[in-house]
Order: sequence, then C-alpha cells, then structure tokens
Amino acid sequence: MKRRDWSVIAWRLAILVVALAAWEWLTGIKAVSRTPGLYWIDPFFISRPSLIVERFLHLASGNVRLSIWQMALSTVQSTVWGFLVGISTGFVAGLVLGRNERLARVFEPYIIAFNSLPRIALVPLITMIFGFGLLAKIVLAWTIVFFIVFFNTFQGARSVDADLIASARFLGASERQIMRTVVIPSALAWTFASLTPSISFALIGVVVGEFIGGESGGGLGYLIIQSLGTLNAADMMVALIALGLIGIVMALGIRQVEARLLRWRPEYRR
Amino acid sequence: MSPPDGRRVRIAIRDLSKTFAEGARAVPAVSGVSLDVHDQEFVALVGPSGCGKSTILNMIGALVAPSSGDILVDGERVAGAPPRGVGYVFQKDTVFPWRTVERNIALGLEYRGVPPAERAALVRTAIALAGLEGFEDAFPATLSGGMRQRVALMRSLVVDPAILLMDEPFGALDTHTKLHLHAELLRLWEAKHQTVVFVTHDLSEAITLADRVVVMTRRPGRIKLVYDVKLPRPRDVIELREHPEYLREYAEIWHALGAELHDPVR
Repeated sequence: MKRRDWSVIAWRLAILVVALAAWEWLTGIKAVSRTPGLYWIDPFFISRPSLIVERFLHLASGNVRLSIWQMALSTVQSTVWGFLVGISTGFVAGLVLGRNERLARVFEPYIIAFNSLPRIALVPLITMIFGFGLLAKIVLAWTIVFFIVFFNTFQGARSVDADLIASARFLGASERQIMRTVVIPSALAWTFASLTPSISFALIGVVVGEFIGGESGGGLGYLIIQSLGTLNAADMMVALIALGLIGIVMALGIRQVEARLLRWRPEYRR
Repeated sequence: MSPPDGRRVRIAIRDLSKTFAEGARAVPAVSGVSLDVHDQEFVALVGPSGCGKSTILNMIGALVAPSSGDILVDGERVAGAPPRGVGYVFQKDTVFPWRTVERNIALGLEYRGVPPAERAALVRTAIALAGLEGFEDAFPATLSGGMRQRVALMRSLVVDPAILLMDEPFGALDTHTKLHLHAELLRLWEAKHQTVVFVTHDLSEAITLADRVVVMTRRPGRIKLVYDVKLPRPRDVIELREHPEYLREYAEIWHALGAELHDPVR
C-alpha cells in the first residue's frame, strides 16, 4: 500500500474515534440535554457507545431467548434467498421479454403498474398469504429485486449490438448459439450493474418484512421494532450497527463477484 | 467486364437496386448494378461516401434485402440468411469484448462444433499468422484498434471461408497501421486466394490490394467503371507506391473518381 492509502485509513480511524468519544462524553453530561434544541443528546434517545457494547454482549450471550446471532442469521438468510431468487427470475424474464418485442408490448402495462406500486404496501398482504416466517420476508425481497434486475436485463437484451449478432451469424452461429454467446453476455453486463442496488433493496425488503413479521420471523428488524416498544435505544443501535455491517459485507462481496465476471471491462482492470 | 482467364463466377450480381425509405421519402441508394466476381478474385468497390458500396456488400451478405435484382453466390440466390462459406469483416469493431483474443478467434470453430483439441491447434496457428502471440489471454479492451481488427480478420479466416466480404475493415485505422495490415492481408490472401469483395473509399488501398477496382458513381450508386489492376503479385505495399504502373493506374482511376466527386448535383 502506498503512503497516501495509509493516510486515508488514518483519517478514517481518527474520525471514528472522535465521533465515538464525543458521543460517549456528551451523553454523559446532563446539562447538554437540558440546553434548548439539544434535548436529543441524551442516552434515552441516542444511547451511548458503552451502553451499546453492554447490550450487545448481553444479546450475544446465551441468556436471551433470541440471540443477536440468530437474528442476524435470519436476516442474512432471507436477504440472500430473496436476492438469489430475485436475480434469477428477473434475469430470465428480462431476457425473454427483451428478445421478444411482441411479448414485451403485451406485458408492458402490467409490469409498469406492478412496479409503480410501493412495495411496502404489499407487506400486510404478503404476510397474510405467506405467514409470519422466513418465506414472507423472502417473497417481499423478491418482489423488489425482481423488478430492478428485470428492467436492467431487459434494457441490456434490447440493446445488444446488431453487428455483433451479424458477425456471429457469419461465423456460423445458430439462434441458440447467438443467445448463449452474444445476447446473454452483453445483457449480463447490464444485469451485473443492478446487483449492488439489488442487494441493498433486498435487505430493505427483509427488514420491513421483519417489522411486521413478529418473533417467529425473527431477524434484526424484529429487534428494532421490539426496542421501539420498550423504548430501548441501545438495543435499537445494536440492531442498526449489525444491519450496517451486514450491508457493507454483502456489498463488498457483490463487488468482488462483479469485478471477476466483468474483468473484460476496462473499468475493472487492475 | 473481363472474366479473368475463364474462372467460374462465385458472386453474380444482376441488375441490383436498393431504395431506402427515409420517412415518407424514398432514397435510392443503389441502382441497376451488375457485376461478376470470379473465383479467387480480389475485387475492390470504391466510390464517394454514401454511394451505396457498403449497401451492396450488405446485400451480398444478406444483411440487407435488395429492392430489386438478384444476387447469386455459388449459383444460389441470396435470401434471408448469410450464404454459406462467406466471411464478413466489419468496419466497426465487432470483436466480442467479453472474450479473450484466443476465444474470439475460436468463435466460428466453436459454432461449427470443431473438437477442442483441433480448435486449439487452429487458433494457435491463426494467432501466430497474425503476430498476436503473447496476447492470447488479453481482453479486447487492452488492445489497439489495429490489433482488434487483426483479431476480427483472423476470426473470419480461421473457419476458412471461400468468400470474404470486407466493409472498410481498416477505415478507422491510422495510415501506418493500415499499411501493416495491407501487407498482412495480402500475405494471408496469397496463401489461400479467397474470393474477396473489399469496400473502401481509399483508392490507394483498392489498387494496392485488388485485381479489379470497381468505381461507383455518387448516390444512387451505379458502376461507373471497372478497372483491371495489372500490378504484379505478390505485391509489396511499400515498393508498390513507387511502381510506375501504380502511379499511372492511380491517376487514371482518380480522374474517373474525381469527376464523380466534383460533378454538380443532379
């Protein structure tokens, strides 16, 4: 690593330390929260780092009914499933409609109508149909991811360079071979571009599902809603930090996959 | 049009016309073109831009349907699908960006179901012929325009087409790279003597490469003149420029072409 990289890392660490220290220190001073406009700087609302660590250790121990690990696992599981099912179905649908003008025209109004529907409005209905478990969360994440991937793949499949198809034909390609060697690879480049937003949206879908899903669905969303009920800011912070970490790890994972699969693109070359 | 030493006709173009619809307006692009291209012959189509020379090539390759007239490739009427045994090199970069050099060149062999071992051997030979050794695993984005076009050329040649259609394949390259590729194309052509139809607006390119130069008129494109290039083969692309015959032919065709460029609009 270069010197510059180290200095960037040092700055990042410094900001983190200062922010945490200020948080810990300010929430310890009673007078601050009594100052007009600063009432929210109170451990009741924003908790304190030390308190959060304490609650985390408690939630991570075996003495609770639902440990933070179980909840995180539930959230990650539903997100990954919703993501995987969403990208595969979205990809196939995008490819089929993207290469079939007639079918695309027939389905257009339905797709637009369904996609304009705020997905959160579907949560009660999906919960009614699929119950309070894992499945409802997966379905919810799927309804979001499907459309993101679908629209991207659809665009990609439509914008395949006609000259590439023509040159494949001159080289003796059958229609199936053209699909496999020209249409799918060029559409995939568009699909991959939708993976990073897809994983974030899958996580959003899952957490919203968990807000409603109750204890049987488990998950970090459940911890957040439960903490609201008990006005426990520390538990809420534990859940938020965990969600943030999960989001980062997932996004980095996707980036790795993307860089590997799109290594032919100049912007991914190292 | 003199059939050179009675070789058989591979591409027969009969009274070919093409009119494009541009909104409500009908724009004639090619009008009444008849031409025979013989076996092993290298024919260049030259003309001012927009004269329909690329359209003719696209019609031979079945990329565009004629408005009237006929094209026969090896006696069979061209319709719908690209005729068999015909290779096409585009001006535009049509190398697949997601495939390495090696896998691009292997494409046609893959489509034809050539077994992997045999495929690898053919590709290796092609890479050596094109001087692309060391770039087998490179992605096109890392190559220069000239190298990419070389890959496109080898990709077409590796499946051993009897007929090669080339649409200004070196049009986007700088003069230096272009000369290199001329030399290379001639060297490859000397080995197999494919039947070639080469579209260009560069007269020196046409004379350097071709046995016959077909000069087109301005839009709507008609054949103005067919010129037999008498330069001896094999040709050296650099020495050729000094050859008195080259200079004479260049001047002669230039006059015919020049009239086309400077004629008042009809």
